[in-house]
Amino acid sequence: MTFFAYNQPASRPQTSTAAADLQREGISMQDLNIIATTSSPAIATDWNEGRVILAGDSYPENAFELFQPLLDWVSAYLAQAGQPLRLELSLLYLNTSSIRIMMDLFDQLEVAHQAGKSVRLQWFYDARNERVADLAEEFREDCTFPFDIIAEERA
Amino acid sequence: MSEDRDEFEREVAALLQDPQWQGHPLQHALQALNARYDERGAMMARLTRIADRYQLAERERGLSFVQRYERQLRQLEKIIRISDQYQQMLRELNEELQRTASHDLLTGLFNRRYLYDRLGEELGKAARGHGQFALAMADVDLFKQINDSYGHDIGDAALCHVARQLAAPLREYDLCGRWGGEEFLLLFPGGDLEAAQQGIQRIRQRLQDEPFVHDGRVCPLTLSFGVTEYRQGESTTAILKRVDEALYRAKHAGRDCLECA
Repeated sequence: MTFFAYNQPASRPQTSTAAADLQREGISMQDLNIIATTSSPAIATDWNEGRVILAGDSYPENAFELFQPLLDWVSAYLAQAGQPLRLELSLLYLNTSSIRIMMDLFDQLEVAHQAGKSVRLQWFYDARNERVADLAEEFREDCTFPFDIIAEERA
Repeated sequence: MSEDRDEFEREVAALLQDPQWQGHPLQHALQALNARYDERGAMMARLTRIADRYQLAERERGLSFVQRYERQLRQLEKIIRISDQYQQMLRELNEELQRTASHDLLTGLFNRRYLYDRLGEELGKAARGHGQFALAMADVDLFKQINDSYGHDIGDAALCHVARQLAAPLREYDLCGRWGGEEFLLLFPGGDLEAAQQGIQRIRQRLQDEPFVHDGRVCPLTLSFGVTEYRQGESTTAILKRVDEALYRAKHAGRDCLECA
């Protein structure tokens, strides 16, 4: 884990503790830039731009381990950044634990939205695969923050 | 009860106030007893208040458990619903992949790879003494002319038409697929030369009854056939070679006919 700078030992096992430390110190968290694999999506964050990008398939062996840094990043951002947050998702297949994590993530956004913070989500999908849009609709059901499902025409 | 007690309490209070009993030892004792009684009553009221508050808190805690439980149940149901949809999506994708692995994209018939595997299976069964099978190879006559005069799109449409007429009259367990180009392979499990010839006759009849129509004009399409049946101990290559040779002879015999080997 090398997502956390600022003298955090690289081998520190509890990323959530590291995040809490950073939060206490009032320092913005280092951005994430996790490369996609065949079973996990690309995860990228940009604190200055207020942007999170997730793209690809998600059926990792341990979804909680993979996504915890992202959940920590988002909660730190929402707590401290004081500026809008935008999520751009191009997710195709999600396994059950990834679905669970997305719902937790959207819950965080919902809470922030209810507290008057500016959050929005854009879910991009290949226009040839309408099923992905149906799934995004299911996710959107309980969300009141801006949640757009956008078809992309691909060559 | 409480009214009786209030009545009694008033009586006691009046007795204690009554001047005629002042200084009497029993008046003194009654006063002390009454003070103790008041004290106990107040304590009882306090205990009851605490117990009530505690009960209320427990009740609220229970309610919040119920709420949390219901919320988690809803979340769980949603996860399951979404997960099922993803599974369904994968299943359909898988079926699509299986279909493209075994079927010809243009005609929707089985493809060469699938036919080759099935031919191998039938050959294995027959070699072990479990039945017999016949094989036919069909080729669209003068297909190049159709392509050249009408273009490839019409050529493709003609192939699809032929494919439908080939598949329609076959029995459920007969197989038919596109071997390549304008060549089709027919497999008759359990059948002999006679059965194959009958099947082919039905196909030729159907192709006459339902000719290919392009731009409102009937374009006569015919097929040449080579037919053979399994011979004990032979290989896939050997039987394919023989059926191909029979087809070649049919072509040379003037097309639109059937040659047996």
